[in-house]
Amino acid sequence: MLIKKRMKVKLFILITIPFLVVLTGCGEFKDIDKMVFVSMIGIDETDDPEKPYKIILKLYVPTSSFRQNPTPEYTYLSKNGKTLAETISILESHLDKELDFGHSKLIVVGEKILQNDNYKEILDFLIRRPDIQMISYFAVGRPNAEEIIKFLPAGETALQPTIFNYFDNNGAESSYIISTFLFDFRRRLKEEGIDPILPIVEMNEPKTHFIINKSIVLADNRPPYELDTDKTLLFKTLSMNAKTIFFAVKREREYFVSRIDSIKSKYNVNVENNKASIKIEMKLAGVITESKNTLSSKELSRYSKMLDEEMKEKVSEFIHEMKREGYDPFGFGLKYYAHTLPKNRMTHEEWLEAYKNADVEVVVKSNLKSTGSIQ
Amino acid sequence: MSSKVNLSWIASQFEDKNDLIQKKLELDHKQITVLFIKSLIDQELYQKYIINPFFELPTQEQFNLYLFALPQFQEVPSKEKALYFVMEGNVLIEIQDNLYSLDFKLSKNSDVNSTSVETTIHGSELALSDNLMTNINVIRSSYHQPSLMIEYFEKGEVNKPKMALIYDDKKVKRKALESIREKLEKIDMQVITEAPQFNTLLNDQRYSLFPKMLLTERPDRIVYNLAGGKVILLVDGSPQSMIAPVVFFDFMTTMEDNYHTLAISYYLKLLRYIGIFVCILLPGIYIGAVSFSPEVFRTELMLTIAGSRMGVPFTSFVEVLFMLFFMELLLEASIRLPKAISATAATVGGLILGTAVTEAALASNIMVIIVSAVAISTFVIPVNEMAFAIRIVRLILIVIASIFGLAGLTLGFLCFIMYLVNLTSFGEPYLRFYNYRKGNQDSEGQA
Repeated sequence: MLIKKRMKVKLFILITIPFLVVLTGCGEFKDIDKMVFVSMIGIDETDDPEKPYKIILKLYVPTSSFRQNPTPEYTYLSKNGKTLAETISILESHLDKELDFGHSKLIVVGEKILQNDNYKEILDFLIRRPDIQMISYFAVGRPNAEEIIKFLPAGETALQPTIFNYFDNNGAESSYIISTFLFDFRRRLKEEGIDPILPIVEMNEPKTHFIINKSIVLADNRPPYELDTDKTLLFKTLSMNAKTIFFAVKREREYFVSRIDSIKSKYNVNVENNKASIKIEMKLAGVITESKNTLSSKELSRYSKMLDEEMKEKVSEFIHEMKREGYDPFGFGLKYYAHTLPKNRMTHEEWLEAYKNADVEVVVKSNLKSTGSIQ
Repeated sequence: MSSKVNLSWIASQFEDKNDLIQKKLELDHKQITVLFIKSLIDQELYQKYIINPFFELPTQEQFNLYLFALPQFQEVPSKEKALYFVMEGNVLIEIQDNLYSLDFKLSKNSDVNSTSVETTIHGSELALSDNLMTNINVIRSSYHQPSLMIEYFEKGEVNKPKMALIYDDKKVKRKALESIREKLEKIDMQVITEAPQFNTLLNDQRYSLFPKMLLTERPDRIVYNLAGGKVILLVDGSPQSMIAPVVFFDFMTTMEDNYHTLAISYYLKLLRYIGIFVCILLPGIYIGAVSFSPEVFRTELMLTIAGSRMGVPFTSFVEVLFMLFFMELLLEASIRLPKAISATAATVGGLILGTAVTEAALASNIMVIIVSAVAISTFVIPVNEMAFAIRIVRLILIVIASIFGLAGLTLGFLCFIMYLVNLTSFGEPYLRFYNYRKGNQDSEGQA
């Protein structure tokens, strides 16, 4: 009898569990063709103080066969609103499918938003929403986000927005493109001692393709500071993200361009008696790729020295400029905090003051291996 | 009891008197009585070894001595045994009130078959035969060890086939052997015709999903496993043998692995293990990713899948089950059909599953690719029994994935591994990764 009873209990459990499981009705179950995927998110600022944000979503249109339909097709949703979450929830009512941000790889904000210091609020929303990936790229759109989002460059094919290739180092490996992930942007923003840097996305004049070679540095209580193309290159070089750079040297009647493909740079921050000193060491190696004059391979060490001086001059100038304006995208402050015990540390304000007056020493050791021609 | 009485008792046991022959031969002072079933014995042998000497040898003593020297000669302990001997194809001879038996069995099925289930490119093409003695001959002649033990027994109350339990006495795992003997004792069956029946007969768990014994028709696999200390079960009339105890990884090994160079055999093994994972997980991953978390795909892939699902009237798991169902039907049908028709069935089925289904928008293109990948990878599993079990596991995982998504699939797969870990085959852990016994030279063949 006992065995029979036990069997009954087992049977009961075996029957009820599937029922309970199945009767939940697969709440999460949603087929892929009932979702619509966001490709990029654009956020602009409007002039209307009641509805300060304009959200533009670029949505993928799925194609069954890439070969039959290779031209890119997107639909756009845009709406002005007071807060981002509300605006997006209203946008969801414009669609028959569920909005899914899981595949959005790029967030573009208009330049105006940075000027008005609204980006912190935007960032808060982007971080909180679970289906927005923290590995999305974050960029600044010029003149505004909407134009960048809606722009289809020539040669773009379906399903593969070209703009992602600029950032992900699979396509373009340019030394002028800064890629900032959403998580990195947030980290730099929250962390004291390092300032966020964002790429600026522009379009060329007849509007055929994107241009990404400038960047913008943000800092607390200061207007955003734009780095032009050369400075962006120097920043990438110093932060060791550049793979190859081309660097022109013009001195002592020589004028040549070197291709530097091995870059090592490190920096030290020392503080003594509230006086900060920053020491930057760079090791470069490469070849000469272009020259106005005939070069002799016997004089390679002289050319290297010229490259040293040129680089040193440029880098010092760049760092002095950053320091003077009070921007720190390199993370000198963070380095200082990381290397100092808490009891000896200056406060953030003290550090900013010390950084402004810091001594900068740049040491460049370059090694040009060839003049690039056979003699 | 005299042998005369015994003989008449045996004769009386047979209802059909046509086939049973009882003859009394008398010449000079010699006298014997023979009893046999005509259709069971080799009449040429009978003529050559009994009739001719009877008339040629001068005295009864010489004839007796001659019979005694024959290799087929056997004493008969009891009348029940004598009856069994007659039914086995022996000739009973009664001489001077003593009963002897001579094995003149005629077997027409003693040719070895060629391999049909476990075909390989390298290695022998010959399999076992339907005849037990031939099989034992094959095994003995390729396993030269005095410690090779063969125990004969009969099971199955009605047809009483002769069976053999074969093992190497020095290497066998005692615990497993005892457990097999114990379970053989308990068998209560009317008819046993084939060795694969032992898989269920020796299994205590009625609802067990995975095979606890390995079915093989290859003598080289038998020899390899004998050397590994395993026990072989053979049944007369069955061209297949069962090997026990086994571990999961035995089912993923082919004999060819030993015939290739190391790199090639590792590569093939790797291929096989990837195949089994694809076969178990791919449909589940499709459902989980398409319907629960499309983030896991690359964007392009996700959009292609979304696009190819446009117009498909079913949700993803119905689509998967629908396609798998037809694939399984096709598999099942092509086994049962005669060879000439099965090719046609495969073509028709392939066409329907392949193109027509996508043309009619009943399933997406990607789905067809997944189903064919799954079908192909099922065939990569070298032992059929395991392939069948895996097909069922796959179905369970599909159900789990369609209710709980990718996380559920992961958990379900974990449960599957836990189940495997929990299993034992005659006392051996089923999912034993490697052999922890000391001494590498006797670990050959142990998984």
